[in-house]
Amino acid sequence: MSSAEPCPRTEALSALIDNELGESDRVALDAHVAGCAICAPVLAEFRQLRTSFAALPGVAPGVDVARLVEGRIAAADAPKPRPRQQPQRLRWWQVAPAALGGALSLSIGAYLGSALMLGSEVAAQPAALQMAAFTEIPPGALCPALQACNPAGR
Amino acid sequence: MLAPDGPDEDWVRRAQRGDSKAFSELVRRHQDRVYRYLLRMLGSHDDALELTQDAFVKAWEALPQWQPEAQFRTWLFRIANNTALDALRRRKLVEFVPLDDAFDAPGSEPDPERQAQATQEIRLLEASLKRLAPKHREILLLREVEEMSYEEIGHVLSLSEGTVKSRLARARAALIEISRRNSR
Repeated sequence: MSSAEPCPRTEALSALIDNELGESDRVALDAHVAGCAICAPVLAEFRQLRTSFAALPGVAPGVDVARLVEGRIAAADAPKPRPRQQPQRLRWWQVAPAALGGALSLSIGAYLGSALMLGSEVAAQPAALQMAAFTEIPPGALCPALQACNPAGR
Repeated sequence: MLAPDGPDEDWVRRAQRGDSKAFSELVRRHQDRVYRYLLRMLGSHDDALELTQDAFVKAWEALPQWQPEAQFRTWLFRIANNTALDALRRRKLVEFVPLDDAFDAPGSEPDPERQAQATQEIRLLEASLKRLAPKHREILLLREVEEMSYEEIGHVLSLSEGTVKSRLARARAALIEISRRNSR
């Protein structure tokens, strides 16, 4: 490659400093760069960049990452706590038998209750007797004196 | 019993059988490199430390899929790089935070003037790196810091060698251009 030829792309120069060119390509490019006013500074900049990267200070995590990773792996392998069972929403056909049973029980209870009431004396009592519950001495209470329950003294 | 300085692949096979101690040995061998790479990709010690652990946990989980044809180091860096890119996307962390204390120049420079110049160059490089696109930053770090071959970089980034070659050239040119603007 002579200097009269167009300057190679930066790609070839980049590969040159990475030592990724074949032997013949490398020799030809070296010869070209030696006489090329465009390529020579580009190659110099690439080499300077490499020097700057090499000067970057070393860094370290400062902790034993292996131990931290061991802990995380062990935690992941441990049996996981069971997720809490969410209360399920019941469907209408799951609720229907219970609701029907409840309604039937209430109906039977009301029917039996009213039948008993109808057959008892309480239902046959006149209204005045029923109101006696609100008098001074309600039915069933003890009389402290005869006059207290019977003002006529009888 | 495996030799402590034996090849990674022997330890990987053992770890594949569920030996967590063998995996810990692999973590110890590679933790500094993975951390260094993630620190330069993300710019934060805390993020780099967390993602280093994430990368190794993912590697442990993916260990059954590892094939002996793959070099463990490039396989691991592929996981680490994907972890870094996920984090950059998730956190939109395109800003590269300066590495504070890590900016100190190497202590081997005896000449104060030369030392000051070296410090300046490192600061300029770090400042320029933070403005570089992640796809250029990753490939430059793999080449210049991790010293991977084009073939290895291709394995890490899932690129052909031809693409590695052209992208590296563009990354270098972009970094030099950014450095030029920063130094004005």
